[in-house]
Amino acid sequence: MAHELANRERKRSEKQSAVAELSPAKDNNSKKTKRNAKVTDELEEATDEPIQDFTTGDDGIEGATGYDSDGSTSSQDQDGDQAGTEAPEAPSSSTADTRVHTGKLLLPPKGEELRQIKEASELFKSSSFKLQIDALLPNLAPKVSHTAPLERFLFALHTVLISIPSTKPLPPLEAARNLSSKDKSRSKKSFIGDSPIAVPYPHPNPTEDVKWTVEFESPKEITVVGSWANKIGVKAREGMGWGVDLAVEMPAALFQEKDVHNARFFHKRAFYLAYLASHLSSLSTMKDSPFKVHVAYESPGADARLTTLLLRPVSDGSPTDFSKLNAFVRLIPVIPPSSPLALHRLSPSHASIRASSASSTSEPIEPPPTPLYNSALLKCTTPRLHLLHTHALIQEVPSFTNALTLLRVWANQRGYNGDYIASENAKTSSVARAFLAGWAGRGPWWAALLGVLVNGEEPISDSGRKSAKRKLVARGLSSYQLFRAALDFLSRHEWSSQPVFARTKDGKHRHPPAEYQQYHDAVFVDASSSVNLLAGMPLSSLDLLRHDAKVTLDVLGDGISAIDPFAEAFLNDQRDMVTRFDVVLSVDIANAKIHNQSHKALDWGSENSFVINSVCSVLRRALTNRAKAIGVFIQPPETRPVSQANALPPPSSIIHIGLILDPANAHRLVDHGPALTDANTESDSHEVKVFRELWGEKSELRRFKDGRIQESVVWDVQSSDARAHIPAMIVKHILAQHFGIDSVNAVKGCQDEFDRIVRLPESISKLLVHPDRSQTGFKGAMAAFDTLVRDIKSLDEALPLALLNVSPVSSSLRYTSVFAPLPLPHSTVLTSPSCARYVPAMDVELQFERSARWPDDLVAIQKTKLAFFECISTALMERVPGLKATVVVGDESSASDIMDQGKLEILTPQGWAFTARIWHDREATLLERLTDSKNGLINRIQQNFEDKDTERERKKARDALEIYTRRFIHAPKHHRAIASLFHLFPAYSGTVRLVKRWLASHWLLGGHVSEEAVELLCASVFIGDGKSLVEGNSELVGRAGVPGSKEAGFARVVKFLACWKWEGGLVVPVYGSGGTSAEGGKNVEVKAGSAPGVWVISTEEDREGRMWTSKGPTPLAARRIKVLAKASWECLKALEREYYDVKTLFIHPTEDYDFLIRLVPTAVHRYYQNVNVDPSVWAGNRKYANLPAETELDTNKTVRVNFDPAKMYFEDLQRVYNGTAVFFYDPLGGTVIGGVWDPSLKEARLFRVLCGYSSIPERQITPEAKSKNKTKDMIVLGEAAILAEIRRMGEGLVASIVVRNNN
Amino acid sequence: MVLPDTVAGFAVFPIVYSPQVTHVIYGKSHTNPKKATKKAVNITFPDGRTLFLANVPPDATERELSLLFKSCGTVEKVVFDHDSLPGDTLELQSESESEAEDMDAAMDGDGNGEPPSKKRKRSKKGGEDVPVLKPLPSVPLRILRETGRTAHLVFLDDSSLERALALPRKPRQWPSSDEPRGLAHYAARHDALRPPLDAVREHADSAVAVYDYQEELKKQKSGYHKGEAIVDEDGFTLVTRGGAYGKTLGGGVGVANKKFNGGSEESGRRRKKKKEGKEKDGFYAFQNHEKKRNELLQLKKNWEEDKAKVEKLRESRRFKPY
Repeated sequence: MAHELANRERKRSEKQSAVAELSPAKDNNSKKTKRNAKVTDELEEATDEPIQDFTTGDDGIEGATGYDSDGSTSSQDQDGDQAGTEAPEAPSSSTADTRVHTGKLLLPPKGEELRQIKEASELFKSSSFKLQIDALLPNLAPKVSHTAPLERFLFALHTVLISIPSTKPLPPLEAARNLSSKDKSRSKKSFIGDSPIAVPYPHPNPTEDVKWTVEFESPKEITVVGSWANKIGVKAREGMGWGVDLAVEMPAALFQEKDVHNARFFHKRAFYLAYLASHLSSLSTMKDSPFKVHVAYESPGADARLTTLLLRPVSDGSPTDFSKLNAFVRLIPVIPPSSPLALHRLSPSHASIRASSASSTSEPIEPPPTPLYNSALLKCTTPRLHLLHTHALIQEVPSFTNALTLLRVWANQRGYNGDYIASENAKTSSVARAFLAGWAGRGPWWAALLGVLVNGEEPISDSGRKSAKRKLVARGLSSYQLFRAALDFLSRHEWSSQPVFARTKDGKHRHPPAEYQQYHDAVFVDASSSVNLLAGMPLSSLDLLRHDAKVTLDVLGDGISAIDPFAEAFLNDQRDMVTRFDVVLSVDIANAKIHNQSHKALDWGSENSFVINSVCSVLRRALTNRAKAIGVFIQPPETRPVSQANALPPPSSIIHIGLILDPANAHRLVDHGPALTDANTESDSHEVKVFRELWGEKSELRRFKDGRIQESVVWDVQSSDARAHIPAMIVKHILAQHFGIDSVNAVKGCQDEFDRIVRLPESISKLLVHPDRSQTGFKGAMAAFDTLVRDIKSLDEALPLALLNVSPVSSSLRYTSVFAPLPLPHSTVLTSPSCARYVPAMDVELQFERSARWPDDLVAIQKTKLAFFECISTALMERVPGLKATVVVGDESSASDIMDQGKLEILTPQGWAFTARIWHDREATLLERLTDSKNGLINRIQQNFEDKDTERERKKARDALEIYTRRFIHAPKHHRAIASLFHLFPAYSGTVRLVKRWLASHWLLGGHVSEEAVELLCASVFIGDGKSLVEGNSELVGRAGVPGSKEAGFARVVKFLACWKWEGGLVVPVYGSGGTSAEGGKNVEVKAGSAPGVWVISTEEDREGRMWTSKGPTPLAARRIKVLAKASWECLKALEREYYDVKTLFIHPTEDYDFLIRLVPTAVHRYYQNVNVDPSVWAGNRKYANLPAETELDTNKTVRVNFDPAKMYFEDLQRVYNGTAVFFYDPLGGTVIGGVWDPSLKEARLFRVLCGYSSIPERQITPEAKSKNKTKDMIVLGEAAILAEIRRMGEGLVASIVVRNNN
Repeated sequence: MVLPDTVAGFAVFPIVYSPQVTHVIYGKSHTNPKKATKKAVNITFPDGRTLFLANVPPDATERELSLLFKSCGTVEKVVFDHDSLPGDTLELQSESESEAEDMDAAMDGDGNGEPPSKKRKRSKKGGEDVPVLKPLPSVPLRILRETGRTAHLVFLDDSSLERALALPRKPRQWPSSDEPRGLAHYAARHDALRPPLDAVREHADSAVAVYDYQEELKKQKSGYHKGEAIVDEDGFTLVTRGGAYGKTLGGGVGVANKKFNGGSEESGRRRKKKKEGKEKDGFYAFQNHEKKRNELLQLKKNWEEDKAKVEKLRESRRFKPY
C-alpha cells in the first residue's frame, strides 16, 4: 500500500497545481460568474461549453481536499467546492446568474434556470432555504489552501511508520518498564527518547507471571479512514480541529486466537500504541526529523481499551507543519482481516473476561457477558469497512455528503458530539462545555444512519416480519429532504424496543440479533454486521436526540413567524441548558458508589463512565414518563501526555443533569408500581422486587380507593409550588439511594432560589399570612371572587337592574401576579408595619342587563354608575357582615368627566380587596360618535354650533374611548385567554411571574411595560404559532419544545428579549381562534409617532398589536430592556458552568441614571415585596410584636385599599416631567426611582414661553454666543430647581436625591 | 450668580427653593390676542392688570402665587394653563365642580362647554324648581401640573402689575400654602376619592336629576316631536341615524341604510368591483401567455430577491454557525 499512497500523491499534486491556478478566483463567486458571463455573451446563446469548462475546474478543487480511498478523482460530491453555491441537484446554475449580471433584466427564466428555480422551491423548504443551505455548506468544509502541508506530513509519517524496526517479544510488564525507564542502558532500543512512555494497559492489568508476550512489528498497512478520507468531515464546535484518522494495521502475526479474552488483545494493542508513541515522540525531539509533532493519548469515553494516539503539529513553519489547518492526526491500531483472533465468538453474550487468576475465588461462577468489551474489540476491525461502505453511499446517493453535513451541523449545535480535543490555536479554549454522555466517538454512526435510511434494514432473521413499517428513502432526494428524513426517523424511533440492523451485503447477521437486544440498551448494528455502533449509549441521550429532532421538525414544519427556521435548525447554538431543560441539577459524583457491580465496571472500561451510564439508566427508569428526555452532561475528556497510562479523571467530578419534563405527567404525586395480584403471595414477583430495588424504602404497599393494592411511591408535597419540585426530588432520591450521593451538598439546582424570588420573605409572611394556608394563594383569591359574585348576584332585588355577568380582569385571578395573592384582614393590616400595608385590589367588571333607562349622555352615565355603586355597596354591606364597600368617585390619574371613572371598592371580611367597575356598552357608541369626524359634525350641528372647541372635546373622547376599549373590551378577553393558558401549560404562570419580577426589579414593569404585554410575550414562548391551541389539548401535550418549568420559560423569554428585533413585531395567537392568525401579523408596521410605545404584539383580537403597548416601552426603554436581557442571558448561561445566587439576575445596576431618588423604605407600602428586602425595616420600629406600629399615617384607623404612595408619586413624576426626564421605578416595593434627563435638553436654547420644561437663563455666556448677539435669550434646563421640586413633591417619601455626574 | 433682568422681553423672577437652588419664573404683562383664533378659548383677562407668568412650578397653588406677589398688591385670581389642551388632567371631579362654580361668575360668556358647567348654567336659567347639583365634599388638594407651564395672575388694580414688573430682581423665597405635600398629599387624595356613601348618593342622585331636567328642557325647547324632521335656517333637513332605540333625541329623519353615515365610499367601491368582475380572464390567448409569463417573471424575481437576501446575510458572516 505504500505505492498506493504514492500513487495518490501523484494525482493529488496534479490536482493541486490546478488549485494553484484557480485559487485566486475560487473564493469569489462573482468573479466566476462574470467570467462565465462574458463567455455566454460572446456565444449569444447559452451553450453548455463554458459550464463544462467550469465544472472541470471545480473538480480540480475538490480533488485536493482529501483522499479518496480508491484514489479516483471522479467523485460526484462537491462539498469541497469553496465557491460553488450549487447543490448537486442543480449542477449548473451559472446560466441563471449570467442573465442577471449582464443586465438583461428579468427575461422570463427558461429551461435550465427554470428547472433550477423550481427545484429549489420544491425539493427544499423554500428557495431561500436552499440558497441559505448553499451558503452554509462551504463554511463547514476544511480550507483547501491549508491541506497541502497535511498531505506532506501524511507521507512523511507513512514512511516513518513503515520503517520502525520490530522488537523482541517480551512479557507485557517488562516491556512497559522498558518503555518507561529513562535509563537507556537497560533498554535495548537505544533510539528511544528520554521522555518516559507509559503503556496504557486497560483493566484488568496484566500480571508478572503471564505467559504471553507483547511485541512490535511495523504496520502492514496505513490507510486514511473516517470522515477525512471520504471528505465528509464537518467542522466541529469550539475550534476543535479536523480529525484525520489513520488506521494503522497491526500485523496478524502478533496475535493468537485466544487473545480476545481477558483484555489480552487490548494489552497488545496498548503496547503497540505506546511503542509507536515512543518512537514518534523521540523522533520529534531529534534534529533531523522529517516532522515535529506533539504526541498524546486519547481515550474516547474514558475507555482505555480504545486509546488512540493523537499527533498535533508543532507550528514551526516547516513544510509538514499543518497547524494552519487546525487539524490533528489520530492513529488507530486496527486488526487485519486475516488475523487469527476468534472474532466470531464475540457476540454480545460472550463472556470475554474470565475470572482472573489473581482473584482466587474458587466459586465456579458463570462469568458475566461482556457486550461492551466485545464491541470495543470488534471496533478495531471496522474502520476500513466503514470507509468503504460510506464511500459506496457517497457514490450512490448524490446528496449524501450535503445531507450528512446538515445532519451533523444540526447535531453539533445541540451538543451531540463527545470528542473534545482542544487544538493548539483554539480561540476559545476556555469554553470547554460539558458534553452529553455517550456521544464520544460516534462519528461513523451518523453516516451509517443515513445509510440505513437509504439502504434499509436487515430483517431480524427467520421471522417473516420484514421491516415493512418503514419505507426506504429514495436515493435521488435533495440534501434537505434527506436531512428531514433523518430527523423524521430520529423523532419517531423508539430505540429501547426497536433495534436497527443495517442491511448487509450478504443478508446475514454475524451474531444473533436477539443477543444484541438482550445485552445492549440501544442497538444499531452497522452494515458489516460486526459491531453495534450504539454500544454503551445511554437511552436517555437518545431520548434527548428524539426530542430535539421533534422540536426541529416542528420548527421546520410550521410557520412560526417569530422564528427563522433555518437559523433555528442550523445556525443557533441550542446547547444552553437553561433554555433546553426544564430542570437543571449539577451533581458531584466524586463520592458515587455502586455496590456489587465491579464486573460491569470492568465491561465498561472505566469506573467513571459506568457510574454515569448507570445514573442515566436508573434515572430514566425512575422518572418514567415524567420526563420526555434526560440529558446527562459530563465534563469534556482531556487528552493526556504519553507518560500517563491511565485515562485522566475528568477535570471536575461535576455532572449536569437536565430534565425535559412532560407537563402532563411530571408533577404526579404517586408512582404506581406493580399490583399485588394475590395478597398471600406477597413474597415478591420479580416486578415487585425490581420496583423495590429501584425506590428503596420509599416504596410502600398501599391500598387505593378503588381497591387496588399496589406497590407505590408517594411524594410528599406541602404547597403547590413544591409540586414543581417533584422531578428534582426524584432525582435526588434516586442518586442517594443508588449511588450514595448526598442530596444536600452534592446536588444543586436553582429551583428553590427561583421560587424564593416570587415568594415573600419568611419574616414578613409570618406577620401577614393567615395561619390557615388554604385561604391564601390564587385558589383562595378565586374562591373569594366566586363568593363575591354570589353575594352580588343575590342582591338582585335590591338592584334596579339584574346582573348579567361578572368578569375578572386581574392578574391575581389569572395566576400571573408576581406574588401569590394574600388576604389581608383588617386586623392584620392595622397591626402590620407601614412598609407592609399595601392591600392590592383585584379588578372585576360588572355587566348589567340592558335597559332603556340609562341616560343617553356620557356624563350622566358616569353619574348613574355612581348611583349604582352606592346602591350595591349599601346592599352588600347589609348582606355580608364585616364587608366594607366604598365608592371611589374618580381615578387618580385622570379627570375627564366622560371617561369611565367611578368604581366600587370592596374589602371582604377575609381581607380580599376588589374594585368593581360597570361596563355599559352604550358608552362606546356615544364616544365613537364624538370621535368620528362625520358624526362629530352632526353633533355639532345638533348643538347649534354651541361648542367651538371640538378638537379638545374630540381628544378627550378619544382618550376615553381608548380607556373604554382597553378596559371593557380587551381586558376581559385577555384575562380569559391568559387564564386558559394556565390550565394548558403548568409552567406558564410561573414563567410570567418570574418575567414580571425580572422586569419589575429592573424598574421597567408598570411604568414602561404593561403586565398584559408581559403575559403575551411569555405566551409566545409557549404557544408558538398557536396551531396547537386550535387543535385541542391532546395535541398540545405532545408538542415538543414547550417549556416545562418556570425556570426554563423564564430563560427562554429572557433569551427572546435579548434577540428580539421589535421593529418586526410579534404575533401571539393567544385566543386560539387560529386560521386567521397568519395574515394578521405579517405586515406589522409601526406608525411613527402614533404612540410612544414601539413594541407591536398583535393577537387575533388586536391586529394592530398596540393595545397593551401603546404607552410603552418607548424606544429608550425598549433598548434598555434589550441590553438588560442580554446581560441577564449571559448570566443565565453562566449558571451551567458555575453556581451562583440567582438573585443577582434581579439586582438592578444603577450606574446609568442621571439621578436617583431614594425613598424612605417605611413610607413605601409595598416595601415587603422588594427583591432585596431588608427585614430590619419592619423589625426595627417594632420593639414589641404585639404593639401596633404608629406612624403619622395611622391616625385614622382605616385600611386604604390599593394605596401605594410611592407608585402614585412615580406616576406623578412621569406625568409632570414628561419630556424633561424619563423615570424608572420598581413597582414591587422599590426604594429608588431612577431618572434620566432628556439628552436633547442639555444644550442651551432660545427662550420660548411654552418650551415644556423648567428652565433658567443661561448664565455663562459663551464667546461665540456673544458674537452672534444671542446673549440674552438663551435658557438651559434648570436641573437643580427641578430636583428641588421633585424633592418638595415627595415630602415624606424621599430620603435623598443622588445626582451622578456622568460627563 | 448673575441672572439677566429680562429674557426675550420677559421679566425674570428668581425664586429661591433652598439656599443653593434657584428657580426662575418669567413674567410679562398680559395682552389679549387681537382676534380670537379658532382654537383660542374665549377667556379674556382684563387688560392692564393681568400678569402672564411662564415656567410656573408644577406644584404651585393659587395661594402660593398670590403670596409670592403679595407685596405688589392683592391678587384677584390665578388661572393656570388656560390654553393647554388636556390641561389639568389631575383636576379632581370635586374640585372642578367647585372651582367652576366660582369661575362662572367671573368668566362671562365662557363657552368652554365643559358639560358640568353647561348644565349648571342652564339650570340657573331655568327657574325655581331646578334641581341643584350637590357637589361631593371637597378637600384642599394640590394639583400637580406639567412642568414649564404658564399662569395668568389677575391683580385687583393696574398699579399692582406695574409694581410686580418693577420688582427688584433679587431672589425671593418660594412661599408655601397649607395644602399637604408628598406622602400626606397622596393619603389625602386617596381619601378624598372615597367620600362617604351618603354624599355619593346625594351627588349622584342630584346629577341624574339635573340631567333629567335638562333633557326635559331640551325637549321643550327643541320643539321636536316624534317623526318630525329638523330643518335649519337654510331649509335643509337634517338626516341622521336613530339612536339606540330608533330615534335620535334631538330629532332628525331616520336613515334606512346603516352604511349611509359611515360607509358611503365603501359601498361605492363595491359597485365598481362588480363591474370589473364582468370581464373574463383568459379569454384571449395573449392573456394566457401574459399570465404565464408574469408568473415566471414573478418566480424569477422572487428567486433573485432571495438570492440577494442570502448574499447580504452571507456578508454579515451569518453562515458561520460557529
